[in-house]
Amino acid sequence: MKKILLIEDEAALRDELSVLLKNAGYTPVSVTEWDSVPEQMKSSGADLILLDINLPGLNGEALLQEFRRESSTPVIMLTSRTSEIDEVLSMSYGADDFVTKPYNPTILLLRISAVLKRSAGKTSSVQTYHDAQVSTMKGSISRNGAEQILTKNEMIIFQLLLDRQGEIVTRDDLMTALWDNDEFVNDNALSVNVSRLRSKLAELGLEEAIETRKKQGYVLK
Amino acid sequence: MRLIDYLRDRLPALIIGGVTYGLALLFMAAYRFSGEAVILLSLILLLGAVSAGLWDFFRKKSYYTRLIRYTEELDKKYLLAETVGKPDFLDGKITYEALRQGNASMCEHVADFRRENKDFREYIEMWVHEIKLPVASLQLMCHNNGDHKYAEQLKRIDSYIESVLYYARSGSAEKDYIIKPVSLKRTFADVAVRNREQLQELGISLSTEGLDTEVMTDGKWLAFILGQLMANSLKYGASEISVIAESFPDRTELRFRDNGVGIPESDLPYIFEKSFTGSNGRTQAKSTGMGLYIVRKLCRKLGHSISASSEQGKFTELLITFGKNDLHDVR
Repeated sequence: MKKILLIEDEAALRDELSVLLKNAGYTPVSVTEWDSVPEQMKSSGADLILLDINLPGLNGEALLQEFRRESSTPVIMLTSRTSEIDEVLSMSYGADDFVTKPYNPTILLLRISAVLKRSAGKTSSVQTYHDAQVSTMKGSISRNGAEQILTKNEMIIFQLLLDRQGEIVTRDDLMTALWDNDEFVNDNALSVNVSRLRSKLAELGLEEAIETRKKQGYVLK
Repeated sequence: MRLIDYLRDRLPALIIGGVTYGLALLFMAAYRFSGEAVILLSLILLLGAVSAGLWDFFRKKSYYTRLIRYTEELDKKYLLAETVGKPDFLDGKITYEALRQGNASMCEHVADFRRENKDFREYIEMWVHEIKLPVASLQLMCHNNGDHKYAEQLKRIDSYIESVLYYARSGSAEKDYIIKPVSLKRTFADVAVRNREQLQELGISLSTEGLDTEVMTDGKWLAFILGQLMANSLKYGASEISVIAESFPDRTELRFRDNGVGIPESDLPYIFEKSFTGSNGRTQAKSTGMGLYIVRKLCRKLGHSISASSEQGKFTELLITFGKNDLHDVR
């Protein structure tokens, strides 16, 4: 379970973020004491930090700048300031991503998982699914010497299911992930893509890998 | 300033001079001055009067000619007093002093308004940041509890908030944007994802072409602009939206095209005007007449040009042209 440190002073928002992260399988830890934030950032042992810019008596950008001198733990800035200036500043101080409020929860989760993967250096390497090898770079799955090439859409869908293996991934989540990657598909196209993915997996002997949950979504077993 | 006008202006003085001269002639006749003395005295008086008149005429003429020229040529006419300088004749000095004081008071007045405007704008910015917090909380609550119908209303609230923010930004005299290379693809995907539910509900298909390029702009502003164009497409019955970018040596053109109701030709020249709602706005949907007005103001500030073409019942196309910065391509 990845640990995520939440530095957000708006209590209602912080609580809901905690719930969102918990539901997505992370362990959220919240900062509630505002006089020792830099120390808490260093000692938390978190895998990722969500950092607000406007904090009581503090500035998130300055905190980040100080934190980056000692640590490379990934940081995503969360802010209601929608100016490019803040984004440029944050990124130059070493933020890994910049998300503005109000955010699309699904997108926020996608960004978190992307940053976590990037920091673990897993983007280019080969992942495994049971005894199959999944190569994101090549866009292929191979098992026992056989290989199936996935289309971009199929890969995005499979990747999301694999990241949350064993959990329900809603059609809405899949759709958001596809659209976020410039694939503006509709409902039918999503169904077609899922069924193609299923048959490619079946070709590799992975029958029934994707289970449909009525009115909820899909689960990769 | 012509001599004839100057003389006409001095008519009473001329008449007094003439009458005085006539009286002098009468006296000279009464005291039996010789003809030569009369002529000589008349010449001396005439010479004195003419040279005094000419001297006054020319020094005023040179000053007022300058004044008129500057009035015509100056771009910022309130700088007139400073530019033209202080004249060396009394009535001019008095007028100049009055003009300068009037100007100074106007400058203070303008500065006051500017300050108030800035305060107001800063308050709007702050207010927008504040109100986004409860909106963000509500949105997460909706997601966590699975109440999607509330989420839709929240999105509407958020889009109205954005519109206020960008209206304030578009009118500000300050430069609060950053021009840097922005990916059209990334920006458009963000806009599309934000509107995904509504697009899918209405069964609108999106297609893109050539977006794999960067333009010099402010990413956040561009996202707002594209969001406004998309909101219009959603409002006016589109079933297909296509976004096409094309690069030229000196510019990049972005075409945002939909197959909605279109805009009547008679309305087309006015769609970027403030509060213009047009026949579509009156008959089809609620329109505030602010969307495209703000869009054009933002485009102007960023240095992009925007224009529209349409055929009723067929299509509407908004064309944004991004200039290319020579320095940018050096990398």
